[in-house]
Amino acid sequence: MTLPETIPLLGFTWDDLLFMTLAAVMVGSALLVVTMKDIIRCGLAMIICFAALAGLYVLAGAPVVAGAQVLVYIGAISVLVLFAIMLTQTKSGPAALVFQTQAFPAAIASAVLALLIAVTVASTDWPAAGARIWTDTTKLAETLFSDYTLPFEVVSVLLLAAVIGGVYLAKREPGGTD
Amino acid sequence: MLAFLNGISQSLDAYLVLSGLLFAIGTFGFLARRNAISMLMSIELMLNAVNLAIISFGAFSTSLRESASVIALIVIAAAAAEATIGLAIVIAIFRNKKTPLVDEYDAMRD
Repeated sequence: MTLPETIPLLGFTWDDLLFMTLAAVMVGSALLVVTMKDIIRCGLAMIICFAALAGLYVLAGAPVVAGAQVLVYIGAISVLVLFAIMLTQTKSGPAALVFQTQAFPAAIASAVLALLIAVTVASTDWPAAGARIWTDTTKLAETLFSDYTLPFEVVSVLLLAAVIGGVYLAKREPGGTD
Repeated sequence: MLAFLNGISQSLDAYLVLSGLLFAIGTFGFLARRNAISMLMSIELMLNAVNLAIISFGAFSTSLRESASVIALIVIAAAAAEATIGLAIVIAIFRNKKTPLVDEYDAMRD
């Protein structure tokens, strides 16, 4: 049995429904990340947000980036953030006050920013806007290792420097108290 | 009523507005949260928003197709480096100050 072209009743295509679902999940979990009181839950909501973004990347025709998103963000960065949360949570620490005093102006500023971006996007006539295209992974690899060899190497040096710097910053002093 | 949502996954505008929304949420979190790790998580959200914009430009424009993916991959690697250093700094400060709240980091004020 094959699925119908469009969703019965609503009249959307499946891609549209997928896009709307993923967008709703992403925005909802992002809002939870910035508003929830318990910071561990914020970290877990961040994982959901990244997963929905990976789905959006697939929908936008970039499966390799979606894979990297899952590996790097969900697999590595989220775990790092969760570890850092557990290392820095104090039992006595006041979790009551989550926001700075400038939270309300910050909310207004962010709403204005979102509105500005939306208006700009809507009013710009994008010259290249056309049909969606899938990225060919073979061509992607050729581009990465021919045109972008220098950035690739620079990024590897950057990662090495970050690893060494992270270890140096986080290591305990030899004569330290803790 | 919902007819304007028809073909939304085929429009560059929808992706860009979504990315702008995510960026604004990240901005709010960065400006408003007290916890240093929450601020770092908000920065990650903003980086992801930029990545989504890059990917959607690549998806809708023939000349950018592979370059967009490559740039997004490089941004992801740079974000990983940034997260490592940021969290290491937070942990180092936490060891001295015993608090993850940024408004109590006032050593450079006096």
